[in-house]
Amino acid sequence: MSHLADPVAPVFAEEWGRLVAGLIAWCGDWELAEEAAQEAFARAVERWPRGGVPDSPAGWLTTVARNVVRDRLRRRGVETAKLALIGAGPDDGTEAPTGFPDERLRLIFTCAHPALPMPARVALTLRTLCGLSIAEIARAFLVTESTMDKRLVRARAKIRGARIPYRVPPPELLAERIDGVLAVIYLLFNEGYSASSGEELLRVDLSAEAIRLARLLHRMLPEEAEVSGLLALLLLTDARRAARTDGGEIVPLAEQDRSLWGRAEIDEGEALLAPLTGTPGPYEVQARIAVEHDTAATASETDWATIAALYELLPATPVVELNRAVAIAEIHGPEIALRLVDELSGDLDAYHLFHATRADLAARGGDEVAAARSLDRAIALAPTGPERRLLARRRAALADGVDGASR
Amino acid sequence: MKYFLTHVIDPDADWPEGLEDQLRGWVTEMDHRGVLIDGVPLRLDVPPTCVRRTQTGVVVADGPYAETKEQVAGFDLIEADDLDEAIAVAGAHPTLIGGAIEIRPVAPGMATPEPYEPRADREQYLMLVCWDQSGDAEIRDEGPGGADERRPIDDWIDHAAERRLHGSQLQPPALATTVRRVDGTVTVTDGPFAETKEQIGGYDLLEVTGLDEAVEIARDHGSGLIDLRLCSVGIQPEVAGGSTTA
Repeated sequence: MSHLADPVAPVFAEEWGRLVAGLIAWCGDWELAEEAAQEAFARAVERWPRGGVPDSPAGWLTTVARNVVRDRLRRRGVETAKLALIGAGPDDGTEAPTGFPDERLRLIFTCAHPALPMPARVALTLRTLCGLSIAEIARAFLVTESTMDKRLVRARAKIRGARIPYRVPPPELLAERIDGVLAVIYLLFNEGYSASSGEELLRVDLSAEAIRLARLLHRMLPEEAEVSGLLALLLLTDARRAARTDGGEIVPLAEQDRSLWGRAEIDEGEALLAPLTGTPGPYEVQARIAVEHDTAATASETDWATIAALYELLPATPVVELNRAVAIAEIHGPEIALRLVDELSGDLDAYHLFHATRADLAARGGDEVAAARSLDRAIALAPTGPERRLLARRRAALADGVDGASR
Repeated sequence: MKYFLTHVIDPDADWPEGLEDQLRGWVTEMDHRGVLIDGVPLRLDVPPTCVRRTQTGVVVADGPYAETKEQVAGFDLIEADDLDEAIAVAGAHPTLIGGAIEIRPVAPGMATPEPYEPRADREQYLMLVCWDQSGDAEIRDEGPGGADERRPIDDWIDHAAERRLHGSQLQPPALATTVRRVDGTVTVTDGPFAETKEQIGGYDLLEVTGLDEAVEIARDHGSGLIDLRLCSVGIQPEVAGGSTTA
C-alpha cells in the first residue's frame, strides 16, 4: 500500500495500525479486521480524491470498516444475535472508548507474544501495525508470498485457537513482555540495516518501520527505560546510514565521512538517554556505546576506555567479548586484544567478524601472514556480497604489502 | 478454555528433596483456584505399550509412540481464561525443574468431566492417541446444529462406557506452546515439546482391570497409533485445617 493516492497516503501511515487495532478489539477476528481495514482504505482511495478528505478520516474509515465486518459476518450466516454481541447496532463511527491511551499498544503486545514463533511475530507486526502488504513483507524476508501468507494464517490461527489474549500484559508480566516487543523491533531494524548495504534495493525500508514502531512504543510507554534505550540505539545507529555505504560498498566506521552523519538523529538519541538514571539495560548500554562513536569528532578521538567499560555492562556473550576486545586493542594495543580474541575461537569460529577482527589485530601487530589466513577464512564465511568485497579489498591490500592495510 | 498439559521430563534430571511437597503445593493451589480439573502422574517404571494398526492387523508392542529425549511423565487438564493464564499455571509446576510442559488447547465441544472416585480394584491407563498431524488445521467450533450429529467415535465412547473417565481431541501441534525453565526464568516457545512425526492428538483416561482390558479398548478405537501408559496414584490437594470450606 505504499503507492496510495496522495490524500490517503498520510492518513494510511497514521491510521492503519490504529484502525486494525480497534477493529480487532471490536470484532475479535484478526483476519476480518485486516480485510475490513484494507477495504476501507481501498474505498478512501476511490472517493477522497474526488469528494475530498472527510473531516474525521479516522471516523470515516472506522465506520466503513465496521460496515464491511458486519456485511461479511452476515454473509457468513452469523445471526443478528451474535452481531449484536459485538455491538453491531448502528453507530456514529467514533472509536469505542477503551481504557488504553492507544489501541495499538494491545496489538503490539499480542503480535510479540512469546508463544508465537519469532518470524510470525515480525510478520504480524509488519502486517497489522505497519500495514505492509503480504507481498512487501515476503519480499523483505526473501520468501514467497504464499509462504508469508501461510505464516500469517498460522499465527492468527494460534492466537484464536490457543486463545492468546488481546491485551496489554498485567504488571507482573509487563517487563518480560516489553522485552519481547523490543526484540521484534530490534530484529526488524537489523534486518533492514544489513539489507541496506546494496544488493536488495527493492526491499521496503524495515529500519524506518522499526524506528516508527519504537517511537510509537516510546510515546505509549515513556517511563520504560529500555524503550527509550532501544529508540535511542536505533536512531544513533541509523544516523550513520548515509556514510555507511558508498556506491554499494561498505565503508568501515573509522573511514566514514562524519559530516554525512545525521545530526538530528544523534541529538534525539542523546536526549532520550539523558534522563535515564537507573541501572542501564542492554539496549541503553548499546545506545551509550553508539553515542561515544557518534559524538567523536574523528575516529582517533573516540573514547575507547568508556566504550570498553560499557561493554562490561552487557551480558558477556562471545560477540560482546569480541567487541570489547576491539576497544581494548585501541587502549592497550593489539597483542593483549589478540589474546582475548583467541579465547573466543571455540564459540565464534563460524562468525566472519571474528576472523576479520583477528586479521585486523594480527596485521596491526605486524603478522601479515596470520592476518591473510584469517581474512581468507572471514571472506569464506561472510554472508553478503558487500561484506565479502570489503574483506577482499583488505586482503588485496595485505598481499600488496601495504602496511596497516585494514585501517 | 480447557488446556491439556503434557508433562515431559529429562530422564537424567536431578530432582531436589521435597519434590512431593512442591507437587502437593501446586495441586492444592490450582485446585483452590478452580483451575485444575484432573491430573495424573504416570508410572515411569512401567514401559509404555503401543497399539499400532498396520495393513496386516493390529500390532501390540512395547515402547512409546515416539523416541524423544524427554519422556511423557503425566498430564493435567486445566480450565484457564487464556493462554497467558495457562502459561502461568504451567510455569509454576515443579516439572520445570527437570523437564518441560506442553500446553495444548482442548478441541471445542468437550464437556467438563464429572468428578470421580478412583476405584481401588481398578487401574488407570492414560491412552494417548497419536498420528501425523503435519498440516492439520485448528479444529473450529462447528456452530449451531453441528454438535448434535453423531460421530464415529461416539460408538467407541459408548462401548468404553464407564471404563472411560474422560477424554478429548486436542488442537493440533500448530497450536501448541511449550514452557521450560532456563536459568531460573520461565521461557515460552511456540510448538510441541519435540518435533516428532507422530504427535499426541487426543487422550482418554481409562479405568480398567489391567493392561489387557486397556489394550482391548484401544484396539476398538480405530486410530492408527495408541500409546497406553499406566498411571500412578494422583497427588491429592491438601485439605486445609478445616476452617476454609464454607
